[in-house]
Amino acid sequence: MSKSPETPALWRRVLTPLASLKLTVALFALAMFLIFAGTLAQRFEGNWTIVNQYFRPWGWPPSKYFVFIPLQIFAPRSIPLPGSFPFPGGFLIGGLMLANLLAAHAVRFSLSWKRAGILLIHAGLIVLLVGEAVTAVAQDESQMTIYEGSYAQYAQDIRKSELAVIDPTNPSLDTVVVFPEALLRRAADGRSQTAGVGGVLSHAMLPFSLRVERWMDNSTLVGLGMAPPELKATNPATEGFGKVALASPLPPVTGVDTNMPVDAPSAYITLLDKEGLAMGTLLVSLNLDQTQEIAIDGHPWRFALRFKRDYKPYTLHLLDFTHEKFVGTEKARNFASRIRLVDPAHNEDREVLIYMNHPLRYGGETFYQSAFTQGQVGSILQVVRNPGWLLPYVSCLLVTLGLTVHFGYMLMRFVGRAR
Amino acid sequence: MRKYLPWFQVLAMFCLMLAAGPAWAQADFDLDAFGRIPVSAEGRVKPLDSVARNALMMLSGRQTVDIDGKMQPAIRWLADLMGHRKGADDAPVFRIDHPDIVALIGQADSGRKRFSFNELRPHEEALLQQAQQAVAVKPAERNLFQKRILELFANLNTYWDLSQLETPYVVPPLNVDEQWRKFTDVFAEFQRTRKIHPAAGQFAGLLAAYQQQDAAKFNAEVAAYTTFLKAHLPGEVSKAGVEVSFNRAAPFYQGTLLYILTFLVVCVSLLLAGLGRFRAAGWFRNGAVGLLVLTFVIHTIALLLRMWLQGRPPVTNLYSSAIFIGWCCVLLGLFIELFYRNGLGTLAASLIGFATLIIAHNLAAGDTMEMMQAVLDSNFWLSTHVTTVTIGYSATFLAGFLGIALIAVGVLSCFIPIDPRHIKTLGGMIYGTIAFALLFSFVGTVLGGIWADQSWGRFWGWDPKENGAVLIVLGNALILHARWGGMIKQRGMAVLAVGGNIVTAWSWFGTNMLGVGLHSYGFMDSAAFWLTAFVVSQLLIMAVGLMPLPWGRAREVAMPSQSRGA
Repeated sequence: MSKSPETPALWRRVLTPLASLKLTVALFALAMFLIFAGTLAQRFEGNWTIVNQYFRPWGWPPSKYFVFIPLQIFAPRSIPLPGSFPFPGGFLIGGLMLANLLAAHAVRFSLSWKRAGILLIHAGLIVLLVGEAVTAVAQDESQMTIYEGSYAQYAQDIRKSELAVIDPTNPSLDTVVVFPEALLRRAADGRSQTAGVGGVLSHAMLPFSLRVERWMDNSTLVGLGMAPPELKATNPATEGFGKVALASPLPPVTGVDTNMPVDAPSAYITLLDKEGLAMGTLLVSLNLDQTQEIAIDGHPWRFALRFKRDYKPYTLHLLDFTHEKFVGTEKARNFASRIRLVDPAHNEDREVLIYMNHPLRYGGETFYQSAFTQGQVGSILQVVRNPGWLLPYVSCLLVTLGLTVHFGYMLMRFVGRAR
Repeated sequence: MRKYLPWFQVLAMFCLMLAAGPAWAQADFDLDAFGRIPVSAEGRVKPLDSVARNALMMLSGRQTVDIDGKMQPAIRWLADLMGHRKGADDAPVFRIDHPDIVALIGQADSGRKRFSFNELRPHEEALLQQAQQAVAVKPAERNLFQKRILELFANLNTYWDLSQLETPYVVPPLNVDEQWRKFTDVFAEFQRTRKIHPAAGQFAGLLAAYQQQDAAKFNAEVAAYTTFLKAHLPGEVSKAGVEVSFNRAAPFYQGTLLYILTFLVVCVSLLLAGLGRFRAAGWFRNGAVGLLVLTFVIHTIALLLRMWLQGRPPVTNLYSSAIFIGWCCVLLGLFIELFYRNGLGTLAASLIGFATLIIAHNLAAGDTMEMMQAVLDSNFWLSTHVTTVTIGYSATFLAGFLGIALIAVGVLSCFIPIDPRHIKTLGGMIYGTIAFALLFSFVGTVLGGIWADQSWGRFWGWDPKENGAVLIVLGNALILHARWGGMIKQRGMAVLAVGGNIVTAWSWFGTNMLGVGLHSYGFMDSAAFWLTAFVVSQLLIMAVGLMPLPWGRAREVAMPSQSRGA
């Protein structure tokens, strides 16, 4: 730093404290603690909950950039430890690191062999931090299930659901009106702004409207015969499956279960005619794998609560699914899906093999072999859209280059001195 | 070269002594040839000797067994078991540590830890009932008794499967399109078709000879079968033979002894140097370096043999990570010794070499060359990501142990007139090692991210093991930045480097203990105790390092004028 007696420029006076190495070290220490806590917390809650709470909290007011870390995570489950304390979240620490880094280079910028490596390393780190931010904001993950001999043209987001109302009267094409989960939940809370008073949802294409009586984030179905009598008496359903089964709420799934189950929401929905009179209440649930058909004024309508679907302009046909095991063990050796990719718009019709560590990249999305179905032979592909997927690769290159240059330079100097 | 000569002589004798080993008095039955027969178990072709050792290790925690009052090798036990020798079920091979289970089988007063199948058999019902109760509890909520009961049950199953020839798969593929098969399946086929499978027939013949305790016939049958196998599967037979030699040489066990010997010798050297006996110190230092080089050669050969046998890069599971971390640390320590020539690199290297091999020994449950889950089964990523990140772990450990050495030298220098320049030298070593560690841990972590992106579409998933790796990166970066900013000097760097040991141990083992995420392949119980003990010990060392002791005072008192100049 310059030792000139004149007062330094204003920007320098502002940036110098921000560029401090002490701040860097403090941020490293904070990040280490946050990551440690975020790891321990995964014993209690799902990985995605933790990621959003610890590493990606943001919003307004600024307190939303903090995470409240419960003391319990530092103790065994058998010792209850109430209370929690606020701690800066991942976005805050990461953002400060970025500011610290940029400020440091602005204040101390110079070009020399000694600095070249460091410059490259830090450029790579900036790319990495930006990449993680892009991923946090823009990454979309969904799943595609294809049965052998059949095809799929949509992927489903297993962390979100939607209510589909289907008009099946046209034999060649279903008309579908879809209500996303968030809308249903808000309607159930009765606070819906867009849907009008009392949580009523409607759509121009539907001759009726829907009132969400009850929404459950996760649920299980109980046969009406096995349900306790007091619940049976208050069963709201008057149509469809709801007449034989009750939905009862469950706590949200945590990530500790290794077989990775997902939330299965359920809802009770009342159909209202144009005058707002109830025509019947039905149970829709993700636990049901069939649609329910109900006739209204002689017109059939189908209802299903299903995972949020994302339709693709192409189809994937599963020609063959193989699951190899090591001889004499249950340990999987390989899973592979032989797929026919058909995209009329791009005049593509070809075979691809998706297997472990060998995904298919197509149309800005990547398809990974993820799992397989129980029972009927089928393959489950993980579908990921991440516009920032290339950034970590760039970062890795920059940082590796930088570290090599820098430590190579140091080693040469050290060897030179030792001689 | 001449100055190392006496040491090599001592060493050669030592090695000969070890290699000779205890003589297994098995004059009549050629169990050595029996042990070399290749079979398929846990998805891998290996010699019966390995099957016997791994199974016995699982059941009883050691590779020898007390048969009729005499310690016998594992292969003898397996031959007894598979050949249904009379009295085979009397061998005490089930190790039971939980006092309640010992009481359950009515042996509370026996004072023994290992019991035979025949001793357990009368309590079958009671054990089964307990196991059924335990299995109904969710794995995470089982208590120690329930876990141990289920372990015992799994061991009983292993034992039963071995005795019934359900495992290993002993019938080899004789054609290209065949696979290894169970003896029982081939036997069932024989009962249907009345056609004798050539390999299975011979295998049954040699077991029958063993059952009749006809040594001459058994030996002839084994020899004939080996010749038959050599004709059909020459590669497998020779590989199995090498593996038996590898098992018998127990190079990592020898290495453990040699590393601790090296450590003691270098300690003597440092002590002599501290007392001003520089000639003698140099002699001992040379001896220690010679020993370290030799041990490192053994370590390297053993590591390469393992890689060849498994057809894999060095790190595939926790066991092999310990072997490899030790190897990297010793290599780095040797480099440091090459530059500084003061015994400190050897000190840290031999200590870590010893510690990691001990850890590896305790992690060896079952086959240490097991097959991997499909998603991890990729030589490219195993050799890039896993190797790089493991080198990063190694260097961080080395820096931590050098930190311990620095603190030890600093504290000792209050009482013994140690040259204070050692502290500066050690500081330099720690700095260089951490820089190296940062390079490898960062590159390794990012490569891991890229692997994750390739295999399940997520560069970074905040999985515990990933977090562990990034903690090491951040820790190393923290130390370097604090040093650059002048916030810490040698002492501070040493204390933080010891803290690095905690972070690395946590990432290596602690994250696996959470039982969360895709990386939790090595979940363990007893390791939790050792991890805690290690963390506490490191915290104590850090506290000692922070104590305001007058480092280097002894020398100032002894030679006030010189120390000021230095």
